[in-house]
Amino acid sequence: MHMSDALLSVAVGATMTAVSTGIIGTSIKKINKIELEEKKIPMMGVMGAFVFAAQMINFTIPGTGSSGHIGGGILLASLLGPYPSLITMASILLIQCLFFADGGLLALGSNIFNMGVITCLVAYPLIYKPIIKREMTPKRITIASILAVTIGLQLGSFAVVLETVASGVTELSFLTFLSFMQPIHLVIGLIEGAITATVLNFIYQMRREILDSALRKAPMKPVSLKRVLFIMVFATLITGGLLSAYASSSPDGLEWSIANVMGTTELENNTSVHNTLLNLQEKTAILPDYSIVNETGDPSPASTGIAGVLGGLFTLLMTVIAGVVLMYFKKRNAGRPVN
Amino acid sequence: MSNISNSLLQMNNIENMNQKNTVIHRMEPAVKLLITLMYLIVVISVNPYQVSRLIPYLFYPVIGIILAEISLRTMIKYLVIAMPFTLFTGISNLFLNREIAFPMANVVITQGMLSCCFVLLKSILTILAVVILTSTTSMDDLLYAMIHFKVPIIIVTQIMFTYRYIGVIAEEASIMYHGYILRAPKAKAIKAKDMGPFLGQLIIRSFDRAERIYQAMKCRGFEGYVSFSGKKGISGKGWFYVVITAGILIALRLVNISILLGKLFM
Repeated sequence: MHMSDALLSVAVGATMTAVSTGIIGTSIKKINKIELEEKKIPMMGVMGAFVFAAQMINFTIPGTGSSGHIGGGILLASLLGPYPSLITMASILLIQCLFFADGGLLALGSNIFNMGVITCLVAYPLIYKPIIKREMTPKRITIASILAVTIGLQLGSFAVVLETVASGVTELSFLTFLSFMQPIHLVIGLIEGAITATVLNFIYQMRREILDSALRKAPMKPVSLKRVLFIMVFATLITGGLLSAYASSSPDGLEWSIANVMGTTELENNTSVHNTLLNLQEKTAILPDYSIVNETGDPSPASTGIAGVLGGLFTLLMTVIAGVVLMYFKKRNAGRPVN
Repeated sequence: MSNISNSLLQMNNIENMNQKNTVIHRMEPAVKLLITLMYLIVVISVNPYQVSRLIPYLFYPVIGIILAEISLRTMIKYLVIAMPFTLFTGISNLFLNREIAFPMANVVITQGMLSCCFVLLKSILTILAVVILTSTTSMDDLLYAMIHFKVPIIIVTQIMFTYRYIGVIAEEASIMYHGYILRAPKAKAIKAKDMGPFLGQLIIRSFDRAERIYQAMKCRGFEGYVSFSGKKGISGKGWFYVVITAGILIALRLVNISILLGKLFM
């Protein structure tokens, strides 16, 4: 479920980074407020490493012959509490992005939101905790884990669909994409929920105090939750409304519908004033391609397309030649003694 | 098992690559981080279908890989890991959008072909940029750069701890995994029903280890946060690199070199 940079537009990426940064900032404040005992700092790090290790261990999925691994968000939240688990999750996602090419650097905000915020600050306090809080029994732990993991994963994959579609990189329609993602993640969620339940039940039997301390240490005040939800709704509105409308002035949105309606990718705009203005706009805009104009303002898309292919191939050739020349010089210099 | 050892091997490979001494390795970490972020933003800002605009950006990874002496094999390994989802998106675009973009000789180029190439190329560029950064900068240097850019110390500390202990905990997991597989020789992986006690045991071991680590740190004067000494900011020379790179990136973004060169042939 890690999103790569290639699946995001700048507008969506920036919004999600801002939202996640804001929520992490709030979480750090909360952690400082509840006076996180210093023991928890290395604990969070080691548990982060545990989630990593846990993700490397494959288990067989009964009846399918295939294998999978757990995500570990709810597991982490139930061991560390919501805010510390979010910080830990963010660190895990950053390391995964840097060292395992799992998710992009600019998509980090989205990934933290989809897999961290939704799991640790939505599914855990709204689903897992209320069920466990009244009474901690193996049955309740099982129900809470399965529900929290499944719903968390459903919300997460829904967010992935929203962000990808808003970015305009896929030709899949919103509903088609959704119908691909949700059922797969429902199955994954149920399996991961069941595994999480057995792990937590094992901990419950062996070292119950670990689960108790996570419930006790990081109280979620209702006010703070409201704020988090408010931020989320606000972010959704911005992403879904203003920014994505701006971003999807790409062919996926407006131009695309024009293309479908009129049977051409462009509206007629042959007047010289119009072309001059469009050229001027392309030269001056910060992100010129967000305006509806073909690449050079050339009225003929075919010639631009062919020029693009020829020029692109030539640029590629030049890149390869530059690489070969550079490699030749590097090798020649490598043979020389260093002064 | 192969999963655990592969992942650890990958981390070790990267750490080994960090130790080299090339022009790129010697660059200031904060400068590299800034340039990588700028590159990613500019590449991502290119609109769908504009493959020709993306191609010139290949210069950066090609030059970076050669100057930093990163093996092609490592790069390909990363791309294989990171590409599946993007590949799915790209290929689905190929089938879903058959609108004709433009004819070329006897071949018709569709919008789907363009957007498929676009997604794949964009993915390759963004992944390579991050790999160049991590293959040439050690984790400690990256953390210093993060502190320079005012990333909260608790996050930096967490990343440091998590990264440091992945090896330790993964080794623990690997020992347990060996024990399990030796007693269940025909099993390809751990059975789902055994995952509870297996991971549960690993959690308890990790907790106990965290406790011991904390006590050891306390003995050495730990007071809640790791203090990072020494400033590794950006020097005047570093800023010069940043400004020049930013200039080139923005120029490439504003002027479509591919189209300009293509027009020469027509």
